Amino acid sequence: MGAALSALSTFAHLSTLLFLLLGVACGLLIGLLPGLGGTAAVALLLPFVFSLDLPVEHGLPLLVGAVASVHHSDVISGILLGIPGSAAAAATVLDGHEMAKQGKAAHALSLAFLCSMAGGVLGAIGLTFTIPIARPLVLTFGSPEIFMLSVLGVSLTALVSNGAVLKGIVAAALGMLFGMVGSAPAVATYRFTFGSIFLNPGLGLGSVALGIFGIAEVSYLVASRRSVGGGVALQGRWLDGARDFVRHWKLVLRGALVGIWAGILPGVGATAGAFMAYGQTVATAKDKSKFGKGDPRGLIGPESAGNACESGDLVPTLLFGVPGAAPAALLMGALLYYSIEPGPRLITDHLDSTYSIVWSMALGSVIASLLCFPLAGPLAKLTSIPLHRLAPALIVIMMVGAFQATNSYGEMLVVFFFGVFGALMRRADFPRAPLLIGFVLSKPLERYYFLTENLYTPRQWMLRPYVLVMFAILLAPIVIALVRIVRRRRKSDAPAGPRQPATSDAGAGSAHAGGSGGSPVGTGGAAPAGTGGAREAAVALAEAAPESAVSTEPHPARADRYWSLGVTILAAAIIVMAFVMSLGYDADARLAPRLVSVVGIGAVAILLTIEIRKVRAARRSATAVSAGSERRWIRSIIVAFAWVAVVPVLTLLLGFAITAVVFAVAFLWRVSRMKAYTIAIYAVATVGLLYLLTTYANFVLPDGYFFLGSPWTGQ
Amino acid sequence: MKLHKRGGTRAHSGVRLVAVAATLTLVASGCVKHGGSTAQSAKFPKSVTLVVPFAAGGGTDIWARLIATSLHPLLPGNPTVQVQNLPGGEGIPGNNRFAQQDPPDGTRILVGTGSSYIPSLLGQKGVQYDFKKMTPLISNGTGSVVYVTKASGIKTVDDLFAPNANLRYGGISATGSDLGALISFDLLKLPVKATFGFEGRGPVALALQRGELTIDHQTTAVYNQSVKPLTDKGDAIPLMTYGVLDPASGKIVRDPNFPDLPTVPEVYEKHFGSAPNGPAYDAYLTFGVALYAFEKTLWAKAGTPQSITQPYLDAVAGLAKDAKFQQSRTEALGSYPLVKGSEIAKLTQQVFNISPSVRSYVTDLLKDKYNTSVQ
Repeated sequence: MGAALSALSTFAHLSTLLFLLLGVACGLLIGLLPGLGGTAAVALLLPFVFSLDLPVEHGLPLLVGAVASVHHSDVISGILLGIPGSAAAAATVLDGHEMAKQGKAAHALSLAFLCSMAGGVLGAIGLTFTIPIARPLVLTFGSPEIFMLSVLGVSLTALVSNGAVLKGIVAAALGMLFGMVGSAPAVATYRFTFGSIFLNPGLGLGSVALGIFGIAEVSYLVASRRSVGGGVALQGRWLDGARDFVRHWKLVLRGALVGIWAGILPGVGATAGAFMAYGQTVATAKDKSKFGKGDPRGLIGPESAGNACESGDLVPTLLFGVPGAAPAALLMGALLYYSIEPGPRLITDHLDSTYSIVWSMALGSVIASLLCFPLAGPLAKLTSIPLHRLAPALIVIMMVGAFQATNSYGEMLVVFFFGVFGALMRRADFPRAPLLIGFVLSKPLERYYFLTENLYTPRQWMLRPYVLVMFAILLAPIVIALVRIVRRRRKSDAPAGPRQPATSDAGAGSAHAGGSGGSPVGTGGAAPAGTGGAREAAVALAEAAPESAVSTEPHPARADRYWSLGVTILAAAIIVMAFVMSLGYDADARLAPRLVSVVGIGAVAILLTIEIRKVRAARRSATAVSAGSERRWIRSIIVAFAWVAVVPVLTLLLGFAITAVVFAVAFLWRVSRMKAYTIAIYAVATVGLLYLLTTYANFVLPDGYFFLGSPWTGQ
Repeated sequence: MKLHKRGGTRAHSGVRLVAVAATLTLVASGCVKHGGSTAQSAKFPKSVTLVVPFAAGGGTDIWARLIATSLHPLLPGNPTVQVQNLPGGEGIPGNNRFAQQDPPDGTRILVGTGSSYIPSLLGQKGVQYDFKKMTPLISNGTGSVVYVTKASGIKTVDDLFAPNANLRYGGISATGSDLGALISFDLLKLPVKATFGFEGRGPVALALQRGELTIDHQTTAVYNQSVKPLTDKGDAIPLMTYGVLDPASGKIVRDPNFPDLPTVPEVYEKHFGSAPNGPAYDAYLTFGVALYAFEKTLWAKAGTPQSITQPYLDAVAGLAKDAKFQQSRTEALGSYPLVKGSEIAKLTQQVFNISPSVRSYVTDLLKDKYNTSVQ
């Protein structure tokens, strides 16, 4: 404890605090940009530490401060716009963005900031106490335990599916198959790469998350020409967030603990950790009905976990010299620069520096919260701005953010492809969170299955105590889910005949309509609120008055059914294709894709029969009226995606910077119809941002045929 | 956008058009991409970019960042030296891009590492770079130690050959940096059971400590950081090193960091009674020893004027005097000499002119023993 206190006393120096503040500010700015997280923040600051030869008491707070604050700002775009700033923030989007849609953005933001702060502080405290005991703890967690934990993670699918469990399973299977693209973990075989070197290491998590949530959301809102809040009056203040934070302190604590643990273990990572925190919140809640529809509790778990995870990551870094994630790896580079060798001897030789990191983490989180807090109110106003005004900047930033991951042109295509896919899923009421969970856990699941199988006999690993505990945890929600499905089946099977599902939807332009709200079979019963709302708002916009919308579109549920069926067929096609392709692989590379695709085929077959039955039912009950508004909506979403596609296509010719300007100007002129001078300011700001990022943050922009990506760097 | 009501008069949109055009002209002016014909001026560039074809935070990246800082004051005109990461594709796309697109004018320098060398030595698909067509500038070797854990029951290097030795090795991928270990095991005819699929050497080290694995190799720096403390307690037992090439005699000698440990060839000779030879030994020389001799190296493209490459060679002396850099790089790689590229140029040419017999030996080994085909 003496070392901990003496390390704390260094923060009494103004200069140390100043560098911490600088790091926090930098982390906040980087986190604000979708797609960029802790890695970018540390990579940005590291050269300054080296070239300015900062002393250790300045360098470490600078770097750790950035890591501690990134999570505060990366939820901002997630909550306000539905664009997770990092993949880990996707779990926060589930309820956080729904709150924003209901006008409670300030409430959600302030709660998120407080949870991030608590995550950071609790993580640091956890770090302090675990350092002496973490070693045996980490070592008891072998390959079988990590394998079981991954299984447990995938099983969360049932909890983040908003009741559409079957669709959730299909989405998770798709996610796992997408996660298998690239080299197989157990053998040197490349799967589903179609001969492309770009795909050899697999699809990037950042690009997939940006596409499936970010681009999908932006295009959706652009197509419906709405703001996020959809005209809902802003309500709720930051104080509400503080109240929820105090009321649910137990959830905060639990979320942080899950986060620390996810960070400590190799192969689990922040995204899975955040979803696990979400899952355990839902699993243990008495009233589950509001999750996914703007329940503040759904925001607490993942937010507390996110920042705590960064502290957890430091445990293997400091104790074993094994960085848990990229930011920790860069931090390790800084430690080497200061002649501090991470590893078993760190605690005996450099305890003061260890605690200096711990305290920077805690203080950095607090400072970041204090800085963010006053911004919650003003930021919340963003939800009332029509999204098409923000869209060009958002699309440009998302594309450039995704590109940084590998500096490959392919990243932009991945973002675009998953954007379209995400929009389709959204329209068809497929939950998107299970896809991301499946994607994240696919590789660790397969990797640790093979390691377990190779290194243990079945009896050896299945009887390990932690494995048994996790088996028990695993079975509980499955049993509960089964009971729930059976019960709902029984309830809804009785009136399964022709029914008028549209009665409740007809006049609804509000976000609560939920197109499939009254559908005959339970799977669609708890569609995420607002999914139907955006489309209906588009309808309302096109048709001037809600009444006329009703007259031309008496059965919106019918269109919903076609969408649902269509996407189910698409999913089935992908899964069957994966199964067929997997037939050609080596035995060790074949097992996982085959297993997942067989389960997927089973789920998708059941879903398909249900969907076909629903389409028939809808057709019987519907009168033959042209679905003009639906067609109009389809046209506008296609136009929206055509706009998004402009960026990757034009980049091939003009390079990124010029494309960004051309795109922003054209979009604002044609779509947003802004005034000339506003467009000019917007364009200059876009170039300015890109200039700053390339000059000071070492960003790379994709080159085109005629121009360089960043022409100002031309030799 | 069909849904939008048309707003603004025609005159208004005319103004807008002019503004748009003006903005575009402003942006486009003076930023036409310079064609391939870069002037072959021999002036040292004002800014140098070290290209790391891997993600930020890895060993190569950290070494590059350390040397970037220290090179800045030693090069003519004190250019800015920055690191650029081109991750993805196991380094292949980043290396390809350097080899095919970057100009030979010293503005961009490649940071080479074993993980980049091996795919080209194996002739892996997609490799479009050739280190024979590059000039080494500054090179930093490293070494590797083979050790076992207490759980293996092995106490001395002779126990390795016991018929029931419990040897379990964990690797990332048979076609990657594990190759040196696999070839050594094959050379010594050790019955090692290898499991691949670990995410990195770090998780392998954890698995060893958990008792899931029993035999491992680590580079000198990692060994000193993470394994040495365990050897002091008797939990890990170092057995042998790969040895280093003595530039004077061209022979393999003991690793100066581990003068007490025998080299793999020494162990072979002691057990089998004769010096090793044949394709297995040639492969060992390439993948076990030579690659480590220039494990981290700065490469310029062939055709870079000598007035630009020479300052790097001259900077080696300056780097040797930079105490801070020396200490940091020793921690990152172990204490191996930093050498001028000119001293290892012959060796690199030899290594990358890999003989067909060595290549087919490695491909057969991977195919027969590890059921892995080189793709």
